[in-house]
Amino acid sequence: MAPIRLANPAPVLGAFRASSRQAPRWNCMWRSYHSYDYNQPPPFPAAESAILSRAIEHVPGYGFTVDALKLGARDAGYLDASTNLLPRGVFDLVDYHLVMQRLALKDSVQFPDAEGGKKVGVGSKVRTLTLARLRANEPIIHRWQEALAIMAQPTYIPPSLAELARLADEIWFLAGDTSVDTSWYTKRATLSAIYSATEVFMTQDKSSNFKETEEFLDARLEDNMKLGKAVGGFAAWADFTAHSAVNVLRSKGMRI
Amino acid sequence: MSHALLSTRPTARLPSRRIAYPLLDFLAPSICTSGPRSRFHSSAPVDAQPAAQAHVAHAGKPGVRPLNDDQRDFLDSALRVNQAGELAAVLIYAAQTPPVVRSHPHLRPLMKHMYDQEAGHFKTFNALIAKHRVRPTLMYPVWKAAATALGWGTAVMGREAAMACTEAVETEIGTHYNEQVRVLLDWAEKTEKRGESMGEEMTALITELRRIRDEELEHLDHAVEHDAKEAKPYELLTNVIRGGCRTAIWISERV
Repeated sequence: MAPIRLANPAPVLGAFRASSRQAPRWNCMWRSYHSYDYNQPPPFPAAESAILSRAIEHVPGYGFTVDALKLGARDAGYLDASTNLLPRGVFDLVDYHLVMQRLALKDSVQFPDAEGGKKVGVGSKVRTLTLARLRANEPIIHRWQEALAIMAQPTYIPPSLAELARLADEIWFLAGDTSVDTSWYTKRATLSAIYSATEVFMTQDKSSNFKETEEFLDARLEDNMKLGKAVGGFAAWADFTAHSAVNVLRSKGMRI
Repeated sequence: MSHALLSTRPTARLPSRRIAYPLLDFLAPSICTSGPRSRFHSSAPVDAQPAAQAHVAHAGKPGVRPLNDDQRDFLDSALRVNQAGELAAVLIYAAQTPPVVRSHPHLRPLMKHMYDQEAGHFKTFNALIAKHRVRPTLMYPVWKAAATALGWGTAVMGREAAMACTEAVETEIGTHYNEQVRVLLDWAEKTEKRGESMGEEMTALITELRRIRDEELEHLDHAVEHDAKEAKPYELLTNVIRGGCRTAIWISERV
């Protein structure tokens, strides 16, 4: 036993050091610089992915619980205890669902390149993508309140919000939005708010094919568009007024 | 030396374990190696050689080396700063032009030339940060107001002050671009030594940065030719502006 212990400390320490160095990235809201020259690595390590992907199949029956995780581990051929592999337990299951559904968006929604001569606007693309993401919750919607409760635990609020922000970023990116000024922030913030409100609404929705959720989403998006138009209109007016005031003064011979 | 030992020992011991207890082998490495990092679409750090090799196998185009996290963070803040800088430059020239041209009509073509080039740079970086999903700086409206005030303020002080402002700003920006180009060339050299390539994206970025840096330095020359050095409190003016530029760069790299 002793020689093993002697051999061990350094690698273990090294591992701790490595993990503590990685720690800040946890709370990093935005992944940085996206490259097109190589494919992205898979979002989860193989073992975690194997357990979680099986566990997610048990969520409709068992909810976002340790039971679902254990069953998933068994299905993947691991011991029940191997769920200790997931340091955040059930939240990792919720997180897996969120990450996989976010990454699935780019394949599940395709926009034909203006075939019929009619171009699809960014606004309607955002609507389509948001709706597609909400529909991805359909199989587990009766369990989604549990997930929301888990995400609302103080420890998990920051990663949940970060994931929400990443989803909003993904939707605007896939919709082809290229604005890179302050509206970059307001767009993501409003979409995050709208998405999370609609998601909560959807857990209560008993209408067929979630018709009411769709109406709710449309109403929120329309409100947002009206607000955006009003703010944009005011900004344009203020800009115009200031410029013309300066020009009037210049025309009067003032040296400004 | 110790690193070599550390990396060989566990791998040498693991295979025997894998045969005896098939369930333990994933428990051990997962605690030691699988960081939460990987789930945010990031590639492995360079020092983790085996992991990096695995990612090379992922590569979409053969021989292109994925960037590590530090490199991606560098590019992230570099592109953000560049966009903010070009935004400021466009606004400075836009605000300077009317007062300067009014008192010195012969400067109109020069001001227009410099403005057009800056507008081109701004467009380039806007496209780049949208393409690479880089977050624009949170200080966007602040830089907008500050740059307009700086451009207008110096232009009202006179032609020399306006040119001194250009000189100060372009000196800082030129230095900044130079540093970026140096870092990128350093990566390219190291990657090529390993027999891999940085990919077309990075090569194009280096070319673009060099072109833009040269144009910025050309503006610096124009400013000096047009009596920037004769601005009245020359030292004070340029030092304040240069200090402001450096602070703005520091802030934009972070937020």
